[in-house]
Amino acid sequence: MFRHGVFLDTFQESFRNHMFLFFFVVSSLVIGSIGLALNMDIVNGVFQGADILGTELRMDSRMTLERFIVQVQTGLAMLIATIGLFIALMATSTLFPQMLLKGSVDLLLCRPIPRWRLITSRFLGGVSIMAFNAVYLMVGVWLVLGLKSGVWVDGFPLSAILIIFAFIVLFSVVMMASVISENAPVGLLVAYTLLMFSPVLAAHEQITPVLSRELYRQIFRLLYWVVPKSAETIGAMRRLIMDRPLELQWVVGTSAAFAIGCYIITMVYFTRKDY
Amino acid sequence: MLPAFEAVSVSKTFRRWWSRRAVRALDDVSFRVDPGTIFGLLGPNGAGKTTLVKLALTIAYPDSGEIRLLGEPNRNRSILRRIGYLPENPRFPAHLTARQVLRLYGSLSGAEPSVVRRNSEVWLERLDLGKWANTRVSKFSKGMTERLAFAQALVHDPDFIFLDEPTDGLDPLGRMEVRSICRELADAGKTIFINSHILAEIEVICDRIALMKNGRIIEAGTISEVTAGTVGYQLVVPVADGLNSWLLEKSVTFAAVNGHFHVELGDRFAANSLIDDLRANNFEIESLTVNRRTLESVFIERVSE
Repeated sequence: MFRHGVFLDTFQESFRNHMFLFFFVVSSLVIGSIGLALNMDIVNGVFQGADILGTELRMDSRMTLERFIVQVQTGLAMLIATIGLFIALMATSTLFPQMLLKGSVDLLLCRPIPRWRLITSRFLGGVSIMAFNAVYLMVGVWLVLGLKSGVWVDGFPLSAILIIFAFIVLFSVVMMASVISENAPVGLLVAYTLLMFSPVLAAHEQITPVLSRELYRQIFRLLYWVVPKSAETIGAMRRLIMDRPLELQWVVGTSAAFAIGCYIITMVYFTRKDY
Repeated sequence: MLPAFEAVSVSKTFRRWWSRRAVRALDDVSFRVDPGTIFGLLGPNGAGKTTLVKLALTIAYPDSGEIRLLGEPNRNRSILRRIGYLPENPRFPAHLTARQVLRLYGSLSGAEPSVVRRNSEVWLERLDLGKWANTRVSKFSKGMTERLAFAQALVHDPDFIFLDEPTDGLDPLGRMEVRSICRELADAGKTIFINSHILAEIEVICDRIALMKNGRIIEAGTISEVTAGTVGYQLVVPVADGLNSWLLEKSVTFAAVNGHFHVELGDRFAANSLIDDLRANNFEIESLTVNRRTLESVFIERVSE
C-alpha cells in the first residue's frame, strides 16, 4: 500500500543522522544501568531490601518483592514516558520540514504517488522508529527486572502501547503544524504546549468549579474534551502496571479523534497546496 | 501524431490567504510540443516558465485549463511514471549516497528495481560520478549535485524530460555533455523540455522554442522562424577627410571603430542610397553586412516591448 521509498528512507535517515542510534544507546544504557546498579536482597524468596550502586533504599518493613517491583516499574514507566516523549518529539520534529524544503519537495511531488501517501509514509516511518525503541526499552527493562527478581508484571511491557499511543497523538500535531508552517520549531512548540498543558486540563474537575464565570468554565471543559489527554494516557500506565481498572475509553477515544483530525487537516492541506 | 506536451488555456494566479495581493503567473497559455524534439521555453525571470513546469508535474495546480503529457491529462498521475524532472536548485536527502539517491527516486517513479539499478550505473558513469557513487551527497559540489539531478531525471528511463536550467552550475565540459545527452535522447524518440534563460545554449540545442513574458507565450516556432528577417544593414567606411561631418549631415547612426566608421542603416533602400552618395563623393566602402536577427536580439526586442 505504501511506497517503500519514503518509509524506508525515513528509517535510513534516522540511522544516518544517528537519531536511531541515540535512542538505542540511551535505551540500552537504561536497561544496563538497572541490570547492574539495582540489587535486591532476597532470602528464601522473602524480600529483605534493595540498593542502588551500593546505597541502600529505605522502605516500609511490610514491603514485599512484588510491591517493590511494581513500584520501581511504575516510577520508571512515568519517567520514560515523560522524558521519552519530549526527546522523541524533538528528534522527529524535523522529518516533515526537511521533506518540504524547496528543491526537495519538488523531487517527491513529481512522482506518480498520491501526495497523501508521501506524508503518511513519512509519518509511519517516524512512528515506527519510536515504537521500536519504546518496545525495546520497556521489554528490556521488564526482562532485566524479571530475571533479577523472578517477578513478571504483565502490565509493564503492555504499557509501551500507551507510550506509543501518546507519541502518535502528539506526532500527528507535530505533523500538522510543521506541514502547514513548514517549520520544525513551530510543530514542536505546539506539541510541547499540549503535552505540558495536559496535566492542567486533566485536573478539570478540581479547576473548573474555581473559575469565576460560566463562559470560562465551558471553555475549560471544551478544551479538556478536545485537546489530547497525554497526561491521562501516561497516568493510565500506572494503573496498567498496578493491575487496576483502566477506564480508558474516553481518554483514548478523544485523543485518537484529535489525532485523526490533525491527520485529515494535514492531508487536505498538503494535497491542495501549491509548492 | 499526439503532442508530447500540450497546454490548453492554462492560467494560474498565486494568492496568499492573508493578503489581497495576487500574482498572475500564467495567463491563458496554450502551446504544444511534438514528440522526439528538444523544446526550449525562454523568458526573463518571473515570466512563468517554472510555474508552467510545476503545473505540468502537479507540484502546483492550475486555476483553469489543462495540461496533457504524452497524450494523457496530467490529472492521471500514472503518466508521471514516464516523466523525468530536473528541478532548478535540486536538494537531495543529505544522508544518501549518489547511488542511493538514484535508487530512491527511480523507485519512487515506479520503475522496476532491475531497470533502476542498471540505469543508475550507466548514468553515474556517463555523468562522471562513477567514482563518487558511494559518497554522501552532502559532500557534493554544486556541479556534482546538478549532474546527479540530471541522472535522477533519467534513471527510470522516461519518455519526456523536463529540465529546469539544466546547465546551471556546470563547467563548459559538463554543459557540452548535457547538450550531447539531450540530443541523443531526442534522437532516441524522447522529448526534452528545457527551461532556460541561457540563450546561446537554447540556440544550439533546441529544435523549437517559445518565448514567455508576463505569463503569456509571445513568440513560438523553430529558431530560424523566430529569428527570420533582417534588422538592417551595417556599412563599414574607412575614415576620410570630411567624412565625419558628411555623415552627421546625413543624420545616420554611426560609430568610429579602429579607423572605420560603422554606419547602421534600417533597410535596403537606405543602404543603397547612402552607398550611391558615398561613391558620388569619392568616399571608399570597406564592407556591407546584413544584420540578421539573433535569438538574443529577438529576446531583448520582444521582452522589452
